[in-house]
Amino acid sequence: MSEQKAFEPKIVAFVCNWCTYLGADLAGTNRLEYPANVRIVRLPCTGRIDFNLIIKAFEMGADSVLVSGCHPGDCHYTAGNYHARRRWMMFRELLDTMGIDLNRIHFTWISAAEGKKFAETISEITAKARQLGPYRAYREICEESTC
Amino acid sequence: MDKWLEQERPVAAPVRLQDNRVMYQPLTASSQIVSDGFVHAENSIKEFFFPRTEKLYNYKFVGQDVELQDVTVEDAPRMVLFARPCDAASLPILDHVFNWDYKDEFYNRRRRATTVVTLACTEHDTHCFCTSVGLTPDSEQGSDVLLLPLGDGNFEVRMLTEKGKELFRDLVQTSDKTAQIPEGPAKKFDVDEVLQFLEENFDSPFWEEQTLRCLGCAACAYNCPTCHCFDIVDEGNACGGCRVKNWDACQFSMFSLHASGHNPRSIQAQRQRQRIQHKFRIYHEKFGTYLCTGCGNCGRNCPVSLGVLNVVEAIHRRTVKASEKD
Amino acid sequence: MLKQLRQICKELLEEGKVNAVIGYGQDAPGKPAYPIFVTQPADVTQLVWNSHCYNNLAVYLTQKRIRALYPKVAIIVKGCDARAVTVLEKDSQISREDVVVIGMACEGVGEPREPKCNACDVHMPHNVDITVGEVPNPPVTQEQRFAELNAFLKKTPEERMAYWKTELARCVKCYACRQTCPLCYCERCIVDKNRPTCIDTSATLKGNFAWQITRAFHQAARCVGCDECTRVCPAGINLRLLNQSLALAAENCFEFRAGMDAELEPVVGAYSLQDKENFIR
Repeated sequence: MSEQKAFEPKIVAFVCNWCTYLGADLAGTNRLEYPANVRIVRLPCTGRIDFNLIIKAFEMGADSVLVSGCHPGDCHYTAGNYHARRRWMMFRELLDTMGIDLNRIHFTWISAAEGKKFAETISEITAKARQLGPYRAYREICEESTC
Repeated sequence: MDKWLEQERPVAAPVRLQDNRVMYQPLTASSQIVSDGFVHAENSIKEFFFPRTEKLYNYKFVGQDVELQDVTVEDAPRMVLFARPCDAASLPILDHVFNWDYKDEFYNRRRRATTVVTLACTEHDTHCFCTSVGLTPDSEQGSDVLLLPLGDGNFEVRMLTEKGKELFRDLVQTSDKTAQIPEGPAKKFDVDEVLQFLEENFDSPFWEEQTLRCLGCAACAYNCPTCHCFDIVDEGNACGGCRVKNWDACQFSMFSLHASGHNPRSIQAQRQRQRIQHKFRIYHEKFGTYLCTGCGNCGRNCPVSLGVLNVVEAIHRRTVKASEKD
Repeated sequence: MLKQLRQICKELLEEGKVNAVIGYGQDAPGKPAYPIFVTQPADVTQLVWNSHCYNNLAVYLTQKRIRALYPKVAIIVKGCDARAVTVLEKDSQISREDVVVIGMACEGVGEPREPKCNACDVHMPHNVDITVGEVPNPPVTQEQRFAELNAFLKKTPEERMAYWKTELARCVKCYACRQTCPLCYCERCIVDKNRPTCIDTSATLKGNFAWQITRAFHQAARCVGCDECTRVCPAGINLRLLNQSLALAAENCFEFRAGMDAELEPVVGAYSLQDKENFIR
């Protein structure tokens, strides 16, 4: 039997600085465990998230992407997450038409007090990504260009 | 063909796409080949010698140093099948610029490795003007083998080079049949007259009058068999990357944008003027050939029905009018 | 209809109300019509109107050079083109007092008829200053409008991805789609951005995917479905599917169709507390 390292998915999480990032921090200070597969990218607000960032994450080898921010009504910049939500509603449809696996893209609202929710969300996403396997389709697209 | 494909030798040929468009594409099966029912493919064969994107080398950051890794250029034998004479003729024209002040080994290797099998034309459309730039529907320039349709599914075969002979020697039979190739489109303009107009009318309002509707895309340049401008960019990240050579076009607004912010060709009319000047005057001055084979792809693909022929015919009308006045 | 159109344009030019008329010219019947700029009243005889008038002339309304030459213009539009003019107006890219919009009653372009015309409900253009001609304008259901997209979505995600990988392999990054689109009016396109580069300019699959996804999404709820991008693509890529995908999303999520109603504010750049978020945990 071949000794193959079990597949460890790469998760990229684009999180807003004021809610989800602090929620992740809270998970840490409370010593809540969650998989180390996640790479957190901190942005001032979900409103800053250009959909190109999600595409770039897949280009660079992410197997799943999480986008998370403040609950509606709680945005530090008042309405950034509303703008983001509107964009996500449409962007998901485009990704679906392209055949990009929507099971690999997750959106959540996680507040600074929800350390537990953050840890649980990451665990769920990682388990799902492990089940789905590596994101071959996007790797193949980038093959020609891999430098 | 299937034998060639089995040996993993790349073949490019006209292929019909689902919306009835015909384009030169790399073949996966000989059943894809289309040899009649179209005048000219939407694209040109230049992309098999001068690809639209080409890696020059890879680089990796190792500590404080940079490691360069060469890219191997394929030189296994390959073929372009059923090119048109106007496509094949572009190759000797491009040879000049790719071996001018620098010998482009990427291009040259592909040239050496490729056998060009050309199919002479039995019909033309309103976009064609090969006869106005010194070519004919059965021109031999740039071809290794020229196939002239006999009308019964067979071809008269002219093996023009060693490469051509090697490929077709065993496939031909002697016969006394010769093909009747029609004359092609009537001549639409006189190149010498156009040349003179270009020399005398650099600052004329003619350019803007004629090309105001140009949208500034590259549909003409990218489907042109002789256009060869390119841009070199680095693609990578903090770990390393690669240097890539991509097609570029003088019609883009940023093509001649200087780092200072000044753009000597800031208006589309100036960019269109540059295209015609380059094709009929500047390239001719440098290398003795015109940078145009009259294939008509520019006009076929242009969103606003402009293209080179349109502008040059307008020049022709002007020179005719002027000489009538005299 | 053509006589009436030419007369209207002649008067506009004679009275000095516009500096130029942006319309269609044609070299010979049966050949594609192309954009022309008529500045002299006598030259209105160059204007044509027929089923070969493909171009969306609204693209010239945001071209700096054209507007510098002709500050006040009259523009000839079909129903789809008129929608683009409305979007430009709502995006504050043009001021309506400088543009006289002449709407042509249109039964469809192309021989054979362009696919977009089979599901068109703007045969009589909206939001124009002058209308020329009259044709029947029956309503069209959403199902009819999105028939092609819905058929495509019956494929599995893997099949869709395989389709786009084949199609986008032919993209040469000529940007004909961008240059011909009236709503692509950014002075510096994101694909021209470097330091850092956002989207690879190379015509690789990666670069082509990134470009087409970006352009489609930047037209979300703004694309009017004139389909010029699909028509002009030299590689024959069906860009219509991408645009339809976002148009359907805009309709389903916000009951919005770009350019149909000049009173409605654009959807992107706005938000509502009631936006549905059934996909957000």
